[in-house]
Amino acid sequence: MLSLGVVLALAIGVYAQRALGALFLRTENLPDAARRVLDKLPLAIIAAVVALTTVTAGGDLTIDARLAGVAAAGLCAWRKLPMLVAVVAAAVVTALVRATVGG
Amino acid sequence: MIDRLRNWALPPGALFSLDEGLSLAFAYFTVGTTVTILHVTQGTGWLPMLGVIFVVNSVTPGLAYVAVVESGGSSTAGVLSGWLVSSRFGLFAAAIAPYLWPSMWRRAGAAHLAFDPNVALGLREPDEVDKRRVFLAAGWWMILPWWVGGVLGIIIGSNLGDPNTLGLDAIFPAVMLVIVWPQLRERDGLTIGLVALITALALVEITPGGVPALAAACAALLALRPPLPSVSDEAGA
Repeated sequence: MLSLGVVLALAIGVYAQRALGALFLRTENLPDAARRVLDKLPLAIIAAVVALTTVTAGGDLTIDARLAGVAAAGLCAWRKLPMLVAVVAAAVVTALVRATVGG
Repeated sequence: MIDRLRNWALPPGALFSLDEGLSLAFAYFTVGTTVTILHVTQGTGWLPMLGVIFVVNSVTPGLAYVAVVESGGSSTAGVLSGWLVSSRFGLFAAAIAPYLWPSMWRRAGAAHLAFDPNVALGLREPDEVDKRRVFLAAGWWMILPWWVGGVLGIIIGSNLGDPNTLGLDAIFPAVMLVIVWPQLRERDGLTIGLVALITALALVEITPGGVPALAAACAALLALRPPLPSVSDEAGA
């Protein structure tokens, strides 16, 4: 359960970090090497977030129906299908696996 | 008027497409609805919930807080873990910052819109001005449906059973995967992605929430590797 005080504390910390990145990391005259790393940063973090939201639950490794759904989305991306098709496929496959095998 | 809105939502000449905008809208609408239902059924009131939707403007800090507190942690530990999981937004804001306006006030406003997919889609644009335009456009394609979905989730409350029976929990990783897919087809991109994935999964059970994703960010340092020596270089050496 989230209380108003907790939400305020979370909001301040989350915005402070966003503002820190946008305002105070001086990135205009960055050397080329640093720019290359910064450009790849979203890729690295998103790859980790995909893995964490697919095969972990509550801080533990957990293989369940989500893995089949995300694999279906990967297959769609590989076949260059529209993103919306991939996203719907992920939900449908996950729901079907969950309904038939469980997880 | 309608033309201006269209040019603003889908900047002409940019790679960002209507299909991607709709997918983001669909994904963030469902995430907003399901996570809000989750919190509300656990006893969170409507006022803190509105705070999560509009002011925190992110879903993971609230979930991290609940995960820590439910497993016996103090609320201080819960808040710290909420901050930690959102530290990636600071990095995303820094990644797009060089392409924002010089004005500090406008940057401070844009910082609130720094999410994973819109920064990634913005940086994908070859043109420097398009990077900012697409960052903002993709941001609103996500955030408006997320706000609407969140408010709807409060209203629906506990009336819907378990939203995960519909497979909605797979939507978030699916969107993220499709967004980075083109980068995974490049040599450096695939290496960075795999190293990040392995790092995160190796750390998930032994470190507090947020640390695995932050540690995985270090994989971006692989972009410093020198390019593969070409055949003529090797012949010369």
